[in-house]
Amino acid sequence: MAASRTRMSRSMSAWADAPPLPWLYPYREDAQSTRLGEPVFRPFVPISLVHGDQSVWQLTGLVDTGADAILASNLLAEPLGIDLADNEGESTHAVGGRVLTSQYKTIGLQLHPSDAAEDVYLEWQAPVGFVEGWHSDGLVLLGSIGFLNRFTVTASRFAQAVAVEDRDAFDERFGTTLSA
Amino acid sequence: MEPIRTDFTGYEGQFVAIDARTGEIVLADQDLLVVLEQAKGRNHVVVHGRVPYADEPLYVGMG
Repeated sequence: MAASRTRMSRSMSAWADAPPLPWLYPYREDAQSTRLGEPVFRPFVPISLVHGDQSVWQLTGLVDTGADAILASNLLAEPLGIDLADNEGESTHAVGGRVLTSQYKTIGLQLHPSDAAEDVYLEWQAPVGFVEGWHSDGLVLLGSIGFLNRFTVTASRFAQAVAVEDRDAFDERFGTTLSA
Repeated sequence: MEPIRTDFTGYEGQFVAIDARTGEIVLADQDLLVVLEQAKGRNHVVVHGRVPYADEPLYVGMG
């Protein structure tokens, strides 16, 4: 394991031997049965959650452009040593006819490459909403605030892959639309 | 790019962890905390979540 970290930006750090972006991830089969008899493939990426000196091992995070934030099962709060009563705010979400409550806490996230090498990652801090009554088979949703505003993410079901690039890659490709 | 396939058959109702390079299930238990604990320190292993039963609905979007 590398012994030191290299500062990549004011808000992002990485182990010194992390390869440069873009990182490519093949789609992965989801455990959710099948759709019309065909397997379900989704854009999952390996992600670790860190809180103080506690962490949970790598999880499959689902890239979800429809989610406003990063959301996770509240089952992960205990191994992270998070007291959700001491949260930074709550919000409710109407999903599939149910109302779910999430409690937010700012924690560390680590994005790993597709082979899930444990000592290769990019790390940043972001608010994560811990959701009660989580019914997805995945444990983390990577939405707009905290993930899609940190990277340029391109998902192609045709290529059956997702690419994660520096967040400036979008502007470089299409012209500057808005400065963060 | 070829997607990573996983055969979840027989693991319904259990939380599973997968070798990210092959898609093979390497850990399974009814208790998520057990899987998280056993996965710790195993390079290239990711905890995927719970495998639903065949008659559970196909969820879309958040959560």
